[in-house]
Amino acid sequence: MDNLKVAATERSPEVDFDFERGVLRLRGESYPEDASTVFGPVFAALEGFLADAGRRAIEVEFDLTYFNSSSAKALMNMFQMLDNAAGAGAAVTISWFFAPDDDTMKEFGEDFSEDLEHVSFKLVPVG
Amino acid sequence: MAEFNLFDAEERTLEQAEALRRDVAGSPQPVRDGLDALIEAYGRSVREQRRLVKVSDRLQAQLAAVNHELGRRKAEAEEALDRLTAAQESLVQAEKLASLGALVGGVAHEINTPVGIALSCASHLADSTARMRELFEADDIGVDDFERYMATATDTTNLILANCERAAELIRSFKQVAVDRTTSERRKFDLGAYIRETMASLGPHLRQAGHAVSIDCPGGIAMTSYPGALSQVLGNFVMNSLIHAFDPGTIGAIAIQVDQPEAGRVRIVYSDNGKGISEENRGRIFDPFFTTRRGSGGSGLGLHIVYNLVTGPLEGSVAVEGGSAESGIRFVITLPLVTTPLH
Repeated sequence: MDNLKVAATERSPEVDFDFERGVLRLRGESYPEDASTVFGPVFAALEGFLADAGRRAIEVEFDLTYFNSSSAKALMNMFQMLDNAAGAGAAVTISWFFAPDDDTMKEFGEDFSEDLEHVSFKLVPVG
Repeated sequence: MAEFNLFDAEERTLEQAEALRRDVAGSPQPVRDGLDALIEAYGRSVREQRRLVKVSDRLQAQLAAVNHELGRRKAEAEEALDRLTAAQESLVQAEKLASLGALVGGVAHEINTPVGIALSCASHLADSTARMRELFEADDIGVDDFERYMATATDTTNLILANCERAAELIRSFKQVAVDRTTSERRKFDLGAYIRETMASLGPHLRQAGHAVSIDCPGGIAMTSYPGALSQVLGNFVMNSLIHAFDPGTIGAIAIQVDQPEAGRVRIVYSDNGKGISEENRGRIFDPFFTTRRGSGGSGLGLHIVYNLVTGPLEGSVAVEGGSAESGIRFVITLPLVTTPLH
């Protein structure tokens, strides 16, 4: 399927989904006026990709410095989708990047990981 | 995929629960009541979550907007500060040039006197010589004529020589001061001699009004520092006295005293017996653009430049003392004899 590449804006993150290699990346800040314009295409693409992911390896990277509550909810939904795919046999690895001095972002990563059963989750300090 | 919905999963769960409720319609009353209560509570909880997300999003957007505005204003303020600093620097530069201009004016005035005397002596000698030539050509020179001419020639040549030497000496010292002011070169110099040269170059400004200057400096104090900066400092003190301390028509006194309170340092006390400075203004006297004479041409930079030069290249300190109406003003500068080279 086609890769999904969306450049970052002031209020939305860069999306770089390379489905061929199985590497999906979100990077930047996320507090869009309308969550559906940003996350609608992301969810559609992710759903299509995971539907026939089978047992392949999938690497997902979240490198976010700030997000609002809608985005947090959207992230939670994405984690759920990824965890379901992992439960169905895909080898899903999620890397959660955070700046070493950003405790909030680190705690968000820890919170999200609590709901995951099948995904291999890594907290990665950067910078 | 259906229209994007953040609470898609929750809504599907609710739909499934509704279907379940229909399926168990035949169950005992307590089971149906329990299920009703659960569905009701879950639905309310999802609605509450939606509201919270909405409210929170709005607050976060406002916060982001405020942060953005804050950043913009900070950038604006920084830019304004940069512009102000640049303007201040160019004013300081202009002030330095203006004081250099005053120095050049002083030099011209000072040299005018010996050159004028030499010129009139030369002219007198030329006249006498022309008369002697006439007598010589008429073969009519008497002993008296010759003796008179010899006396005139001796007097005038002595005066021409002395005044030309005086002019040359003045030019030498002015050149030193002017060069030091413009090049800010670090070199070794004799403090007492340098203070006297500087004050001589400022002489015309002082003498015109009849002010008296006394310099009390022990001989042989050698400094390795920036004489140009020191000259500028003294010049600005003098200008300050002329503009602020002495009313027109009054005759004032300026004193410069030098001593060495400790090894390796020198203290220069500049004082006048003028009007002094009020208590409330004393603390602001070295601030840039502080002036009590804004309307009449004061830039408020003279003493600020003093402060910058003393604490900058000269690596010393400057303080203002006294300053009540009767005692005039006292500036105390303490400087190291040897400054560290800038490069």
